[in-house]
Amino acid sequence: MSSSPSPANSATASANGGDTATANAGNGQDLNLHFLEKIRLAANRDAKEDEGEDSPTELNTVNSAGGFLVVSPDKLSVKYTNMNLHGHDVGVVQANKPAPFKCLTYYFEIFVKDSGIKGQVAIGFTKESFKMRRQPGWEVNSCGYHGDDGHLYRGQGKGEPFGPKYTKDDTVGGGINYATQEFFFTKNGAIVGKIPKDIKGHLFPTVAVHSQNEEVLVNFGKKKFAFDIKGYEASERNKQQMAIEKISILPNIGYGLVKTYLLHYGYEETLNAFNLATKTTVPPINIDQGIATDEDDSSYALKRRKTLRQLVGNGEVHAAITKLREWYPQTVQDDKSVVCFLLHCQHFIELVRVGKLEEGVQYGRLELAKFVGLTGFQDIIEDCFALLVYEKPEESPVGYFLEDSHKELVADAVNAAILSTNPNKRDVQKSCHLHSHLEKLLRQLTVCCLERRSLNGDQGETFRLHHVLNNNSTRR
Amino acid sequence: MSLFRIFVNQLEEDDEDMATSKKVITREEWEKKLNAVKLRKEDMNTLVMNFLVTEGYVEAAEKFQRESGTKPEIDLATITERMAVKKAVQNGNVEDAIEKVNDLNPEILDTNPELFFHLQQQRLIELIRQGKTEEALEFAQEELAPRGEENQAFLEELEKTVALLVFEDASNCPVKELLDLSHRLKTASEVNAAILTSQSHEKDPKLPSLLKMLIWAQNQLDEKAVYPHINDLSTGQLEDPSE
Repeated sequence: MSSSPSPANSATASANGGDTATANAGNGQDLNLHFLEKIRLAANRDAKEDEGEDSPTELNTVNSAGGFLVVSPDKLSVKYTNMNLHGHDVGVVQANKPAPFKCLTYYFEIFVKDSGIKGQVAIGFTKESFKMRRQPGWEVNSCGYHGDDGHLYRGQGKGEPFGPKYTKDDTVGGGINYATQEFFFTKNGAIVGKIPKDIKGHLFPTVAVHSQNEEVLVNFGKKKFAFDIKGYEASERNKQQMAIEKISILPNIGYGLVKTYLLHYGYEETLNAFNLATKTTVPPINIDQGIATDEDDSSYALKRRKTLRQLVGNGEVHAAITKLREWYPQTVQDDKSVVCFLLHCQHFIELVRVGKLEEGVQYGRLELAKFVGLTGFQDIIEDCFALLVYEKPEESPVGYFLEDSHKELVADAVNAAILSTNPNKRDVQKSCHLHSHLEKLLRQLTVCCLERRSLNGDQGETFRLHHVLNNNSTRR
Repeated sequence: MSLFRIFVNQLEEDDEDMATSKKVITREEWEKKLNAVKLRKEDMNTLVMNFLVTEGYVEAAEKFQRESGTKPEIDLATITERMAVKKAVQNGNVEDAIEKVNDLNPEILDTNPELFFHLQQQRLIELIRQGKTEEALEFAQEELAPRGEENQAFLEELEKTVALLVFEDASNCPVKELLDLSHRLKTASEVNAAILTSQSHEKDPKLPSLLKMLIWAQNQLDEKAVYPHINDLSTGQLEDPSE
């Protein structure tokens, strides 16, 4: 059983996908390798999609300006113990880890317990290579909000007027908004201001003390923040949502997309019910846009596609194979094609479902053994056979084979194979029998979001349709 | 200036150009990225089901559940009830609609004074439309005026509505739009949204929002890159960057 497909496996599979996409456009069978990838996706569904990012938890005691300051044993407060003489004896401490960046914002706070003789406390962000004896903001690639003058320093010895000064008993926060690529600072729970973030790469939360007895407590989120960061995130999201809602699209365009989707996948009964219900209520002009041009293509073999989907859905896989062989022999000509593989697997799965394990083994030997050793199939066969090992296969790690969504996937593969036999289909867009209009739009949306994020140095939240659909709070 | 210096300057200028110019992504590269997206069929089915449910196509939702194995996010029976309310308002049977809403969940109107007022106002409009002047006046005085006393905005709307009675020929009336069928649709969609909210369901389908988001995401990416667009949402046709 391969709970996580080996990198080698997925690499070969995607390489195959690339080859066939260019070489076999007419044939189309092997394009369905795409569906094998989908099985692997289902296998990893519960795996964590985000490798959790480390967040700063405490101050770094190794790389700090030794001699000028003392970091407390809990590593959450820092005190300047020396006499400051010049600008090169600043006591700077960074957090133990850089700010995480696969999120909307990062934020931390300090509490000025004692402002010492001069009150030269500072909060900001620096790069790992920062000189630990200089105030954040004095050097390039750093920025800092300074308590003694309320100025903001970014990369120069001279600051710019920014906000109020801060001193003993004040709580001050520093944050990064990755969506807008800005730094922001707060004082006692209120926003002070924001500035563009022009520093790339990892940034460390940083505090500095620079006169005798100055003492600062740092809060990396273990305690409640004075500033309502959740509320800030919500309002930032809301701002973006408002901007999105303001965009105007043709009214009722969704109807047409739903319709072509139902056509594409052969959900004929749904389509008929939907057509009937929308005939009177929705202006037909918008619905039929875009359908007219390829209705012929999409409704190609609709009845038969629906029948085969039903057979697979009801577990009558053998009947589905027989019909497919009768109606579209070209799709099963190659008995080592993806469609054949998926259907045989599915028959095996159905036997396991009803507890006919022995029959399953025999069927497997007869029809599936020939796929063993073929790149791209091996791991799936192994997982499939693993069903035999468990007393309750539906609760096992390979239980996804028994879910409805897997039947759906097999039915989709059959559907795509039939669509590829459409003689009217021009080969302009090879993927057209794989992707419905709706799917094309969703892919474009995903790539746009990912690409933009990658141009921002991979900072900010990733777009995932799954999250958008399952998170009701995205729209309020 | 030495030749070398000029050369170096040239290089620096080129560097600057590189920094400000946009990243160009060819169609081939872009399509590779599109094909690499891991999109789950279940998610697309969920999106379609959400559309059918929110827009109230109960038969289609039932069939879709059967054909695709997608579970609707709310009890399909409540769609039938919701659509019955909506239809009643659309047909001008406001009293009937109010009763149906209360059967569904009495809290909806209790907690939505504005919605309740709008329904009562719609009822008044229907009476006026039917020429039942006396009944309309009585209804306005007994049911609507007390609410107007509580709320200035309601009072203004009530006055506007009663103004319909002043004109024998309503087409001369400055507030004649209240008699438009579109006003019924407006009230109907207000009730529809309130019922959905009471069922902790969003009042709009997610699909149109995602389409808007696609336009938005393309606009955002335009600032930094040149790449193939989709301009026609109804076909999803990819267009070359140069077009």
